[in-house]
Amino acid sequence: MRLRTLEYFVRETFSSIRHNGLMGFASMSTVALSLLILGLFLIMVLNLNHMASTLESQVQITVYLEDSVSNAGITRLANEFADMEGVKKVTYVDKKQAMERFKQRLGEQQGLLTALENTNPLPNSFEIQVDKPERIKMLAPEISELPGVENARFGQEVVEQLFTLTKIVRIGGVVLILFLALAAIFIIANTIRLTVFARRREVSIMKYVGATDWFIRWPFLLEGMVLGLAGAFIAVLLLAEAYSALLSQAQATLAFLPLIPRQPFLTQVSAVLLASGTAIGALGSAISLRKFLDV
Amino acid sequence: MIIMNNISKRYPNGSVALTNINVHISKGEFVFVVGPSGAGKSTFIKMLFREVLPSSGELFVNGRNVVDMERSEVPYLRRSLGIVFQDYRLLPQKTVHDNVAFAMEVIEAPYREIQKRVNHVLDLVGLRHKARVYPGELSGGEQQRIAIARAIVNNPVLLIADEPTGNLDPDTSWDIMKIFSRVNRNGTTIIMATHDKDIVDSMNKRVIAVENGTIVRDEVKGVYGYEA
Ligand SMILES: Nc1ncnc2c1ncn2[C@@H]1O[C@H](COP(=O)(O)OP(=O)(O)O)[C@@H](O)[C@H]1O
Ligand SMILES: [Mg+2]
Repeated sequence: MRLRTLEYFVRETFSSIRHNGLMGFASMSTVALSLLILGLFLIMVLNLNHMASTLESQVQITVYLEDSVSNAGITRLANEFADMEGVKKVTYVDKKQAMERFKQRLGEQQGLLTALENTNPLPNSFEIQVDKPERIKMLAPEISELPGVENARFGQEVVEQLFTLTKIVRIGGVVLILFLALAAIFIIANTIRLTVFARRREVSIMKYVGATDWFIRWPFLLEGMVLGLAGAFIAVLLLAEAYSALLSQAQATLAFLPLIPRQPFLTQVSAVLLASGTAIGALGSAISLRKFLDV
Repeated sequence: MIIMNNISKRYPNGSVALTNINVHISKGEFVFVVGPSGAGKSTFIKMLFREVLPSSGELFVNGRNVVDMERSEVPYLRRSLGIVFQDYRLLPQKTVHDNVAFAMEVIEAPYREIQKRVNHVLDLVGLRHKARVYPGELSGGEQQRIAIARAIVNNPVLLIADEPTGNLDPDTSWDIMKIFSRVNRNGTTIIMATHDKDIVDSMNKRVIAVENGTIVRDEVKGVYGYEA
């Protein structure tokens, strides 16, 4: 393609977007909205998956003890755990240590603890490291049965619940996103229809003097793609801001929550959104061109 | 240049516009297609640039088989033609210069070439001094001269005109015919549908008379032959 041709396409595209003013704005907003939702779901689902796999790969069982267990009982349990197959390390965490850790986790929110008025509701516990994640499912029930053990917790329990949640979010998200994408495609198609209508004279002259079909189509396609891309850009900006805010908020209050770090995650999500926006725009244009542009 | 063998045209609504048309037109000819309104002149003209496809028969324009042509070849057929309509069909938001340049831009001609050719054809129709003006500020005759400039700017081998003087007064019509003669002298074949008796009678060119979709007369140096 000649540089001048490209220049011609770009000129036609932007003059047409200016000309369509309000419709263009509506198109962009619809694309932005649908991609914003798409982005939100993407971020949510990916983070849930990330949490699940983080938890799944854990090789630790936390064993909470009943308060009634004596020191001798604790030593006996420690030995029993150490003898189990696959156990690599057994650490005893008493009530006080547990409270210390909890305080650290709360960080700036330590004020919450005053409600406890110096009582300590946390139990004594063991942390048992095993050699591989699969070992945990066998050991945990066995450990729960031992006298003096309140219960044994491990990440994989939560994983199953997370998967159910992810599934619901995914299905709901797909339906909503499809619906919004269709709306965006429809409104872009409508905008391009207006452009086709406004330019029908030019198009007919172009045909008479021998412009190729693609030469005639490109400016219309570009217009749709630019509108879609611009909408996606708005969505990306909003999402990037929101996710960064979420991350710094989470760091301050919920440091244990395994969220996906900002980069390269946001760049990848942005790429998906920008590509989707452009595709939505191209699709909307293409539909209108098929129907209204006889080339 | 043009070969029509047994061409017939029936429109989808059933109306028959042309039946069994046989015509040969050579390079460099100047041909009038005349006949009463509804005779089939426009259909005849439109087939030449494949705006309308014949229902049966063979049609060759400038060596190209118009009937069997791929869709993608149509633009290249049209690049070898210049087309002029009764209603000028200029773009009101573009200047005279840009209207003419448009025909070259959309077939991706080089910039320098465009400037050179546009000035040349505006000279040829005598309107170079109006290059910066918009069509709305021109008379009908001037607008048609711009339309002709646009039609010939890509150096067509064949200039096709459907009632180009239909909206113009006699004096202005003669300006148009002078331009056509000049273009024809430069070697361009011209086919013009008209029902302007005075013009046909005094130009002394080949006349193909159509009535009810058939050729009733084809004379080398013909006259209009109907009451105007
Ligand atoms: N697009 C069309 N659809 C149906 N009938 C048409 C169409 N164009 C022309 N006709 C018919 O074909 C006949 C010839 O029309 P046309 O070629 O326009 O004649 P002319 O240009 O000599 O007036 C007329 O009867 C007209 O009604
Ligand atoms: Mg006609």
